[in-house]
Amino acid sequence: MREVFLPRTLDELWDLLRRRPEAVIYAGGTDVLVKLRAGLIAASSLICLERIEDLQGVRDQGDEVYIGAATTHRTLLADPVIQEHFPILIQALSVLGSPPVRNMGTIGGNVVTASPAGDTLPPLYVLDAEVEVRWSDGAKRLPLSQFILGPGKTSLGPGQLLAGVWLRKSADYNVHHFEKVGQRKALAIAVVSLAALLKVSDSGRIDQVRLAWGSVGPTVMRSGEVESALEGRVISRETLDQAAALAQTAVSPIDDIRASGAYRRTVAGNLLLRLINYAR
Amino acid sequence: MPDDRIPQIGVVFPRTDALTKVRGEERFAADYYGRDLVWAGVKRAGIPHARLKSLDVDQARQVPGVIAVLTHRDIPGENRQGVVRKDQPVLVDDKVRHAGDALALVLAESKSALAAALKCIMCELEPLPGVFDPEQALADGAPLVHEDNPEGNILLKAEVKTGGDESVWDECAAVIEACFETPHQEHCFLETESGWAKVEPDGKIVIVASTQAPFRDRTEVAPVLGQDPTSIRVIAPYTGGAFGGKDGITVQSLLGLAALHAQGRPVKMWWDREESFVAGTKRHPARMYYRLGAKTDGTLHAIDVRLYLDTGPYDHLGGAVMTQAVEHSGGPYRIPHARLRGWSVYTNNPIGGAFRGFGVVQVTAAMEQMMDLLAVKLGLDPVQLRLKNAVRCGDKNCVGVTLTGSAGLEECLEKMARHPYWQNRQIWIQAAGSLKRRGVGLAAVMHAMGYGTVVPDVANAQVELTLEGKIRVYSGVVDMGQGNAATNLQIAGSILGQAPGQMELVQPDTDRTLPSGSASASRCTYTFGNALIGAAQALKERILQRASDLLMAAGPDELVLVSGLVRRVTTGQDIPLAVLAKWLTDTERIAVYRFRAPVAQERPAKDEQVRLHGLPHCIFSYGAHLAMVEVDELTGAVEVQGYLAITDSGRVLNPQTYEQQIHGGIVQGLGYALSEDFRVADGRIQTSDLATYIIPTAMDVPEMLSIPVEINEPTGPFGLKGVGEVAMNGPLPAVANAVAAACGGRCFSFPLTSERVLQVMTFES
Repeated sequence: MREVFLPRTLDELWDLLRRRPEAVIYAGGTDVLVKLRAGLIAASSLICLERIEDLQGVRDQGDEVYIGAATTHRTLLADPVIQEHFPILIQALSVLGSPPVRNMGTIGGNVVTASPAGDTLPPLYVLDAEVEVRWSDGAKRLPLSQFILGPGKTSLGPGQLLAGVWLRKSADYNVHHFEKVGQRKALAIAVVSLAALLKVSDSGRIDQVRLAWGSVGPTVMRSGEVESALEGRVISRETLDQAAALAQTAVSPIDDIRASGAYRRTVAGNLLLRLINYAR
Repeated sequence: MPDDRIPQIGVVFPRTDALTKVRGEERFAADYYGRDLVWAGVKRAGIPHARLKSLDVDQARQVPGVIAVLTHRDIPGENRQGVVRKDQPVLVDDKVRHAGDALALVLAESKSALAAALKCIMCELEPLPGVFDPEQALADGAPLVHEDNPEGNILLKAEVKTGGDESVWDECAAVIEACFETPHQEHCFLETESGWAKVEPDGKIVIVASTQAPFRDRTEVAPVLGQDPTSIRVIAPYTGGAFGGKDGITVQSLLGLAALHAQGRPVKMWWDREESFVAGTKRHPARMYYRLGAKTDGTLHAIDVRLYLDTGPYDHLGGAVMTQAVEHSGGPYRIPHARLRGWSVYTNNPIGGAFRGFGVVQVTAAMEQMMDLLAVKLGLDPVQLRLKNAVRCGDKNCVGVTLTGSAGLEECLEKMARHPYWQNRQIWIQAAGSLKRRGVGLAAVMHAMGYGTVVPDVANAQVELTLEGKIRVYSGVVDMGQGNAATNLQIAGSILGQAPGQMELVQPDTDRTLPSGSASASRCTYTFGNALIGAAQALKERILQRASDLLMAAGPDELVLVSGLVRRVTTGQDIPLAVLAKWLTDTERIAVYRFRAPVAQERPAKDEQVRLHGLPHCIFSYGAHLAMVEVDELTGAVEVQGYLAITDSGRVLNPQTYEQQIHGGIVQGLGYALSEDFRVADGRIQTSDLATYIIPTAMDVPEMLSIPVEINEPTGPFGLKGVGEVAMNGPLPAVANAVAAACGGRCFSFPLTSERVLQVMTFES
């Protein structure tokens, strides 16, 4: 038997964490429940975040948007603010898991799980997302790239909670591009993924670019070198080939049951060639 | 919701089990619990090959809630089981031969006590060098899986030779040689292996199992328990899928043994998905060496085939699967000179067993790619090449058997050649988008029906007029999801003029229904349907005759059967069946009929063992398949965008279940072709669950078109032939041929993962 707590407020949560410091926290459970069944984690008690109102929903704050950590993927997919300002996140969410997984899983869970294959992460990296961490008598904001330290590792300390994600609206980018390579079209873990934000001029020149890859290193990977190779250049097969070659040396993928490192490396570069579809 | 329409043959007849399944009311074997339930489970070896030195179960017996811990010493009878060769221990007594072998059986009050006890079982296992490749297993000095097998690691070998000697190859204008490798495939049924057992107060052992073969299970379990088969009752509810993976013992013997130690309490065993992967059977991996020769005009002239099928450590129908592979290895073609050889080989890999397609899937994958390679070499159209060589009624097939049954491959191929998918393929291919390549591929398929020559393919049907005036149909063959139970009602209802609401169905049960063989081999409706027609007609005659006597009519011609009653059409008098039933004795109310499927008289293989394992057959279903694929140049991902299957499996009784069988076969075949990359390293499964073993989702499946070519099969029930397996054979070769056409290069190992396809594309450019 295992205790499951369903706090309704953050105060209840802080109180619970004092009494059950060893408890495992979850929101949708799409990662935690799988690990529990497989015996990969032990938990004498569980704390579920889904009923805490403070952790729910999308709040439009003008220049910024705040997403509560326990907001489900499905809620985000249907949210007009996210749809309008962050289409790249919508693209990634629409290929995350399957409808039941999207109904349960949350953005905070996807961040805290810190898998390099987390589908929301490459978009959040290119969007320069920040996370809000709270504890019983404090809070802080830090860049997502500083929050995630490695596979399954974050800077979250004892008694701390990922409360939400901050996104800054930007009109700079007219191309939001996300592509996930998986072993099938749904219920797939990314073998490689690429998130790209581009500002493409009327003449087809890349004025600004941000790139992030999933599943090709211990965390989501960005490369200033590849971005520089594209910035200021007109989209062409030649330009993209050069950038692809740079990307292939920049990534550090591993072999696993889903694909070899060599395949991931090749495809990490190849996915840039898809940007030819945005040539003017 | 009883339907009041009298079923007709050839018209959609809704499955009687559809509503109960959707509502969750249908009771599968996995749904049996009961008061004072005992949970049973086994300790699995975890290593592929080892000598059992000692087994310490004392600590496990001390776990609170544990009722008994049993080992091979507790087996009252023979500790070996198997459909053909009894080579599989119920509980290991000498050696572990694969990682899923069972070492000890635990009975506990709860699942948690069971899990705790299983962890406490101490096994001293001395690892032995293993053998994991079927060709290496044949080498001198290879580790032996069964030291007492006189043939070393060979379970069975088969050879068929027709026509002339080696010199026939000199008469060929083109010769193609290639080697193909296909992987294991997991059945992935929704309901994992499960069952429930209990010893009744009178001593009878009742086993409810998710099984395809309740009658054969009884004869396998009885010697293990040291019992007479008639003291065991096996009940087979609808299974939640089986596909061959429940054609043979899974939980039955263990449950019977557990029941003997449960003091009359019910015992339940239900493997979880991971246990199903490690302990259940899989499709046999195959390595297939092909050489095919033809004349300039494409006339096939000679074929040489060597097949190596990895059966894992146990027979479990592995000999029969290999024999069936050999029989189909030349495809549905006339080839005058053939040398076809196969080896079913023991290894320490997971157990190979029956799986929809039964050896034909593997060889069709190879042969149909050989046909495309040949078409390219000779510059011939792939449809025309197949049409030129397609077997017709009266031809000899590749093992030299004269085909006397219906043979509609030509009709299927002609229909395909005229279909817009084929006619307009160039336009479709050229419309490929940026960074995409398209290809269209096809495959011709055939599939034998039934058990073959020696093992009697027999069904015994029973139909009863109950005292309530209903028609009760006793299904002898399990419905594992294919819909034959409803088809049985459709057949009986159409003959006896009864709507579904006037009928009852008894599912296979060794105490209530008659032995009718396994749900397998595309035989269920063919064999049982023929028996059922006989029984229903006999009962109809008796009902009408007795009603005629009762009404003092001139004869039964004045009478007809309609739902719930007999009507004398000459006078308008009605007799409810419930009234008539009271005028009949108990024996008169029941009609039975036996049917045995016809067999081929030829003896293509010299070895009597090969004939015993099923070669040859005499009736086949046929088909022509077409796949439209788009390959991504950047990732190698293959998307199947259209699929067409044109099938000759005789007349169609129920268009809905027919289409479901074709669709199901295509989807399972697409998974095998593209994503189901079952990986085993040194006998250990690497893709051990549904997160890493990738079966298709609805998103991965294209629109599937199924077109029947309804040629009457004279021996079939209403002209039907089996349709359960034939569609499974087409997807891999059709997709592979389409991908090869798109990429300009071909993979010879399967499935066609993105990684493999990208490699081929990179190599070709």
